[in-house]
Amino acid sequence: MNRFNTHIIPVEFEYHEPRTIREALELLARWGEDAKILAGGTDLLVQMKMRRVEPKCVINIKRIPELDYIREGPAGVRIGAATRLRRLERSGAIKRLFPALHRAIGWMASVQVRNMATIGGNLCNASPAADTAPPLMVYGARVKLASVSGERTLPLEDFFTGPGQTAMRPGEMLTEIWIPRQPEGTGSAFIKVARTAMDLAKVNVAVALTLKGWSAFNVRIALGSVAPTPMRAREAEAALEGRPPTEGLLRRVGDIASEEIRPITDVRSTAEYRREVTKVIVADALRKALGMVRVGGGVG
Amino acid sequence: MSAGGRFRFVGVRVGRKDGVLKATGRATYAYDVWLPGMLYGRILKSPYAHAEVRVDATEAERLGAVVLTPRDVPDVLFNPRLVSVEEDTFKDWRVLTEHPRYVGEPVAAVAAASEEAAQRALEAIKLEPVRVYKPLLDPFEATRPGSPAIHERIMRGGAWVNVEDNVACTLEYSEGDVDRALSEADVVVERRFHTNRRYHLQPEPKVAVSRPDPDGGVTVWTTTQTIHNTKILISQVFGIPQSKVRVKKVFLGGGFGSSIHTNLVTLVAVALSRKARRPVKIALTREEDMMHDHVSFEMYLRIRAGARRNGRLSGAEFENVMDVGAHQIQPYPLLGTALGWFVSLYKWRAIRYFGRAVYTNKVPSCALRGYGNPQVTWAVETVVDELAEELGVDPVEFRLKNYVGKGDLFWGQGPTVKSIIRSDGVPELMRRGAELIGWRNRPRPGEQTGRYRRGIGVARGFHTSGAGGPLSGSVIDYSGAFLKVNEDGSVDYVTALQDHGGGTLDAHAKIIAEELCIPLEKVNVVWSDSSTTVYDVCTHASRGVYVGGEAARRAAREVKRKILEYAVRILNVAVGPEALRVRYDEELGDAVIYVEGSDAQTTLSEVARTAWQRNWGSISASVSFRATAAPPSFTAYFVEVEVDTETGRVRPVRVVAGADIGKVINPELAEGQVQGGFVMGWGWAVLEDTPYNPETGALENMGFITDYKAPTAGDIPPIEDFRVIFADTYEPTGPFGAKGIGEAASNPVAAAVANAIYDAIGIRFYELPITPERILRALRERERASGENPPRRRGVA
Repeated sequence: MNRFNTHIIPVEFEYHEPRTIREALELLARWGEDAKILAGGTDLLVQMKMRRVEPKCVINIKRIPELDYIREGPAGVRIGAATRLRRLERSGAIKRLFPALHRAIGWMASVQVRNMATIGGNLCNASPAADTAPPLMVYGARVKLASVSGERTLPLEDFFTGPGQTAMRPGEMLTEIWIPRQPEGTGSAFIKVARTAMDLAKVNVAVALTLKGWSAFNVRIALGSVAPTPMRAREAEAALEGRPPTEGLLRRVGDIASEEIRPITDVRSTAEYRREVTKVIVADALRKALGMVRVGGGVG
Repeated sequence: MSAGGRFRFVGVRVGRKDGVLKATGRATYAYDVWLPGMLYGRILKSPYAHAEVRVDATEAERLGAVVLTPRDVPDVLFNPRLVSVEEDTFKDWRVLTEHPRYVGEPVAAVAAASEEAAQRALEAIKLEPVRVYKPLLDPFEATRPGSPAIHERIMRGGAWVNVEDNVACTLEYSEGDVDRALSEADVVVERRFHTNRRYHLQPEPKVAVSRPDPDGGVTVWTTTQTIHNTKILISQVFGIPQSKVRVKKVFLGGGFGSSIHTNLVTLVAVALSRKARRPVKIALTREEDMMHDHVSFEMYLRIRAGARRNGRLSGAEFENVMDVGAHQIQPYPLLGTALGWFVSLYKWRAIRYFGRAVYTNKVPSCALRGYGNPQVTWAVETVVDELAEELGVDPVEFRLKNYVGKGDLFWGQGPTVKSIIRSDGVPELMRRGAELIGWRNRPRPGEQTGRYRRGIGVARGFHTSGAGGPLSGSVIDYSGAFLKVNEDGSVDYVTALQDHGGGTLDAHAKIIAEELCIPLEKVNVVWSDSSTTVYDVCTHASRGVYVGGEAARRAAREVKRKILEYAVRILNVAVGPEALRVRYDEELGDAVIYVEGSDAQTTLSEVARTAWQRNWGSISASVSFRATAAPPSFTAYFVEVEVDTETGRVRPVRVVAGADIGKVINPELAEGQVQGGFVMGWGWAVLEDTPYNPETGALENMGFITDYKAPTAGDIPPIEDFRVIFADTYEPTGPFGAKGIGEAASNPVAAAVANAIYDAIGIRFYELPITPERILRALRERERASGENPPRRRGVA
């Protein structure tokens, strides 16, 4: 316990500020698992102070201009991994095309923290409670991983492998997040239950669905802080897929999602409460998403 | 006061004197102090909840650190808070100990050239457990025979006392025939309450900088609410004469009671600097601040109270078991004040009290904005609400019929501190508050259906202004001020009284300006220390303005008397000082001294200049002041909440907060105190607690504020839905009619919130905090028990 603090960094490390992706990847290749990427530092520095990680080399990628962008294209939006949360929050494209993501980001931490933290950092920290993960998952986002030997992309939901663990291999770095445009008639929403207005989630949920006629299609429900990784509630999605979203069905979908999750009791809440509240906020989020389609706002 | 009785400064909105310093980051807090040759210290905390340990510091010393072990500190027992008289002060602390009694208790310390180096040295210290005891985390378990003794013997004043069954201290009291009163009562309500154990979360974690001086003394800069008591304790522990202990006043980033005592970090820094023979700074991390220093008193309360059909209370039993943690930071006077809070809220007519403070292996408890008052008020205001309901009378009227008010004997600070109430805004606050919130049309429990249900709750309370009284009693409370007039007519005000950041010293400056009729800019508040000020006990008990402000006013009055004596020499037509009048002249920016019906006049600056040029001598006054009353500042809260019955979440919708603080000296700052008091109280009601791991005895959150959540601006109603009203009262014993505010602002909040939740969903909670988890569980249990129709009243312990 005498090692726990959030004030002093007792470990010594080498520090680099590369200006290009290439330089960063070369450093990563050289240092391997002894290196840590600093993409905002709001998680990494705390972990270093607490000695949860003791890197010999810290590579700050916030000075790399080619990692800081939001580009709207015909098929979707590309976001550089080192783009700060505050910039995403202020982006018209994000607000218009991906309201659930926009809502999630605006709800994270404080303005000061959002001015430092990056989207790539939030994903690579791989917290089960990461607020950007569920919205990106319901939008079908993909992530691009680069190393000196090349690039690969994979769906975000395959990226998380456990608490604090990702599919990234040694020497790889997350460089870009790609979010596809959503079909006409899509509504989406994000809801978080937390202890205060500035807190990690007890439970968070994002949903997206496309309304055709009276029925819901492409139903996607993703939850955070209720399992070792952010997760899709696939049985709940299937229960709604292709059906008219009646009030009774929405409640049942919430109940099914609540059965799918694997919550634990921790300092933030209890497993029992997480199950109860999942039922409610899944249905709430679906209602909200439907409302967005019907009023025509926030439709991608 | 200017001619005609109108105030020039008191009650007027003005900018803060320290505003620019703070906004530009130039205000010096203890953390900002840097001295040549200074080392950085770190404290080794016990990982054991209760153990005997051996310290091996060989490796840390090899790394070049100065190491301080329990053998290096004086073998002296002390109580870190000096407020009771010596014979009522229980002592069980040491600077460092080989027998830690809670996780986080300081065992050793190191100093090195940087914090990082100190941290590495700290990690190199080996702690060998010689004997490990089972942690006692529950006061009822701790008092069971056969439980390990947390302390074998402690000191009361200068005498040893044995500790039996881990009971730290007790107090019993009775008045009238309670058994008869309760047997004759028409309704009797008996309830048990359990409070949370809250952390202060003051903005500034503890810091101490200590410099050993060539004369064998020390100079200390530290986070403290009292520079004089810090001076005295350092002197007592280290055997240094008080004249060689200089405690400097620095800006303080919030107190709330967290530095009401001399923090251990101060004593460790002194010991370390004396061993290192160099200045040492120790800054606690936020985690350490929560883990080793302080939390509020966790109380188990039982109230059995009766009332008659005529709407009058007839008697009450009050039991108070306090889990004080591993050491005493003055729980003994709290046993008295808890009773004081109880008896001074309502006229119970007959009472019986049983108070007991119990040791556990937890972080020691100290005062937290109210010193037990919010806890007691929550319990009392719940029981009073229930009695009113049983009797079928309006809870507002029931309170007005039974409260302790004007003309009544009042002893908020305990049985030895009694005085008569002279100003009372309770009826005004209750009636206006009820009207503003729409009390008559409020929803009633069980009346609403649907997911979101609203409720309005009321609670009232008070806090004393200081702990003064006509008799000396067992509590020390007096203040002092030194004021001198410079040769140009500006004044320097020297006080030991600490401003926690709430603007207390701004109020003093206004009081002085008002008394002397000079512009506020001419009053300089001097950053002083314990050797250049007269004694002030502490900024606590909401006494900063009432006691300290009155000391300042008396110093100003004394200075004014001397000014007028000198003015007579200048205006030689006047027959004497009594013939002179003083008024504030805004254009001149000066006090004009004149004779009624005559052209003869001079100014304060002229008097000051002449006294200098003519060798008449300096004009100054030094005052030591003991208040002979501790008048209650009354508050009344009306809170509207909305409960989401599907998630258990509760949010505040509207607040009407009424405060009777006598004449309001700083309207904006006083309003800010009330708003801040609500926010803090809201957190206590629904959010905050510090649970312990039952196996290790460590805080579950390990001190991290990521897991000690307090409300943010996003969690409270928008400011337009938060109405603050001040009663139109005047306290005759206070400076220009003023009373205190700090603690009264938060004392009744948890009670009002709990009563509002009951109003919304018909369920009462007897354990704090009332979290969404608890609300949802209670709602589900009720559904299971009775289908959709909720019973009118139901308790959940």
